[in-house]
Amino acid sequence: MNPTKLKVDHLTAYYSEKAAITDVSIEFPERAVSAIIGPSGCGKSTLIRCLNRMHETVVRTRVEGQVLLDSEDIYQLDPVRVRRRIGMVFQKPNPFVTMSIYNNVSAALRFNGRPSREETDRQVVRSLQQAALWDEVKERIDAPAVSLSGGQQQRLCIARALAAEPEVLLMDEPCSALDPIATAKIEDLIKQLKTEYTLVIVTHNMQQAARVADYTAFMYLGKLIEFGPTEELFERPKDSLTEAYITGRFG
Amino acid sequence: MRKFDRYARRKLLSRIIAVLTGLCVIAVLYPLVSIVYESFALGGAVLFQAQFLTTQAPNGCSVIACQTVGIGPAVQGTLIVVGLAAGISVPVGVLAAIFASEYRVRGLGRAVSFTADVLTGVPSIIMGAFIYGYFVIYDPQIALSFYTGALALSAIMIPIVVRTTEEALRVVPNSVREAAMALGISKWKATLRIVLVASLPGVATGVLLAVMRAAGEAAPLLFTLGYSTLWFTSLSHPGANLPILIYTFALSEYSNQVKVAWGATLFLLILILVVNVVSRLMIHRMRVRMGGI
Amino acid sequence: MNADPLADTGRPRGYDLEIRQLKARAVAMGEWALGMVRDGWRAFSEGDLVAAQAVLDRGSELDRLDEDIEHAAIAFLVLRQPTAGDLRTAAGLLKITTHIDRIGRLGFDMARITTVGPPNEPADLREILERMDTVVESMVSQSLEALGHDRADLARDLFRRDDEVDQFHRDANRIILRELNAKTGNTTRVADDLLVARHFERIADNACKVGEKTVYALTGQRRSEYLPRHRYIPYILEGPTPRTRDNPPPG
Repeated sequence: MNPTKLKVDHLTAYYSEKAAITDVSIEFPERAVSAIIGPSGCGKSTLIRCLNRMHETVVRTRVEGQVLLDSEDIYQLDPVRVRRRIGMVFQKPNPFVTMSIYNNVSAALRFNGRPSREETDRQVVRSLQQAALWDEVKERIDAPAVSLSGGQQQRLCIARALAAEPEVLLMDEPCSALDPIATAKIEDLIKQLKTEYTLVIVTHNMQQAARVADYTAFMYLGKLIEFGPTEELFERPKDSLTEAYITGRFG
Repeated sequence: MRKFDRYARRKLLSRIIAVLTGLCVIAVLYPLVSIVYESFALGGAVLFQAQFLTTQAPNGCSVIACQTVGIGPAVQGTLIVVGLAAGISVPVGVLAAIFASEYRVRGLGRAVSFTADVLTGVPSIIMGAFIYGYFVIYDPQIALSFYTGALALSAIMIPIVVRTTEEALRVVPNSVREAAMALGISKWKATLRIVLVASLPGVATGVLLAVMRAAGEAAPLLFTLGYSTLWFTSLSHPGANLPILIYTFALSEYSNQVKVAWGATLFLLILILVVNVVSRLMIHRMRVRMGGI
Repeated sequence: MNADPLADTGRPRGYDLEIRQLKARAVAMGEWALGMVRDGWRAFSEGDLVAAQAVLDRGSELDRLDEDIEHAAIAFLVLRQPTAGDLRTAAGLLKITTHIDRIGRLGFDMARITTVGPPNEPADLREILERMDTVVESMVSQSLEALGHDRADLARDLFRRDDEVDQFHRDANRIILRELNAKTGNTTRVADDLLVARHFERIADNACKVGEKTVYALTGQRRSEYLPRHRYIPYILEGPTPRTRDNPPPG
């Protein structure tokens, strides 16, 4: 197992005094894909949103425990800086509709510093290539972002997140709004990205977790039930609750 | 035979309702149409005289000399005072709206919204009287001036700008804010440069509404900007303006001045119409270029 | 709140029904194969050609059952994409049916070498073969019960009984060699008995394999996790048992 990049340590997260996740501890290995699966309401979205401090942007939320990025507790750091190191891609593609493709990808660069035009151009091309979108948009990079299809928009959002050069990329059900072909492209992309980044993916699709993830965590009712190499979890899960869920006996 | 009766009854009822609603439409449109028509009829001739916009009454207005035909100073005054008021109310209103909707500080945002709502209903003359009263006590020198006039108009414009900006911001989907935040863009930058930009058409419409309202209000200017027939001299003096000119000349005993009042009315109507149309076109183009929020 | 997802609701959940059906078909095929063994031996031991032919006629049905189960198991894997226990069962059944097919084939072979000659082997040989038949049939039955009733314990027990069969096999071969060396005139029969003894040993072996795959399907355990390393004792009939690292001399 690769060394740990992101460590969740006894994390409990509240929405107004109600705990959405309780005492969760996981170590996500670097340069690998970790999936989080579980039935609706199990806390997987809450967990992932705690990993880049998006959870606290909702009113009346509270967090106990630690999340360590390379041994630094992200809750002791400036949240804005944390989110530059830990990026996120959302379930429904959300490009900035008022901006062009170029401006979308370069948003992080333009707003967080003032790199030269050449540097920005280079980053934009690189990010779009990493997101396997460059060939499809290189002729129309100033076109509005909304002119792209759903799957392309999602890849645009991935490129936008990558342009900020994060260390970790979080994906909250990245394919659930997409058709099967677009989904397949994103899954291939995920497999390529893990050579450079650490990825954590929430998915409700178990086959997808089995296809792309090296490690899988199963959550239920806010608790972590099991975490381990995906093959093991799907062939021979240790917990009977895990087995009941993945074989469709409940949820 | 029974079914037939029911059917016939329904048709009759439909027809009656159609006629009634048609009559209501006429009732609603009649005042508008008649105002426009009367203005044209009574002021049209005056409008097309060459000196309409350029002359002013000579100093020391004698009975004869006061039969002036020009409204030039009034137009200038209106443009200045409305421009000044806009310069105050747009930044203040927009920032207040941003505060109310984006930064949830313990119900303060709701207080701002609520206040703005209430203020839109306050009669405008009270605004004028309040500003006048305040300055009469604290700084009587400029109690009647462009400054106080602009303040009075701002008091009317700000609530409108706040409410419409708030609505425009609310329409921007939360996914935009989340996306910006997830990229590590600080909240104020995201709000000003992404969210606000995305809501610009809505904000522009709100500003337009506020400006049009302010341009036509006479009551708040009554005690603040006051009455004058002179071209603009200084911001701390009272000045000419269209609404007050119309008010004054309409009550005059000189038929010429009454005609000028009608001409000014028509001019104001046309001005508002033109500004409206042009602004809406520009806003529409803005929307199209942004790809449709 | 939420009902306990592991509670027995009395109703079949997930793919329970399909799994049960797959297993039932495998057990039915096993019963068919067992019948072929039983009747094949009887035909051979009594020299009954008519009975032998009846067994031979059952061969095509065995093939059909095998193909049907294979098809059903593959369809289940493709359509349901099962995980954990369901996956192990479906994949395990593909192998189990192969072993069951071999068991049936061995009964078929016993019937095939039936001749009309008198069963004139010596009594001690005959007795050993009878006992082999009893034990082997019982082992096959036990493997089918383990499969049909989810009894991992019964499945593991088969390996112990296999040792017994191996011993019988060695004894039978000793007698056969003795008879062949003595050239007593019933060479043909004794040579056939050699084959039959071999068949019994193979049937027992395949029954063990069925048990092994059943344990895997039920628990995920592989053979090495519950059996000591197999002691491969070289097949020498005379002389002392050779000692190896796994079979050290006593003391």
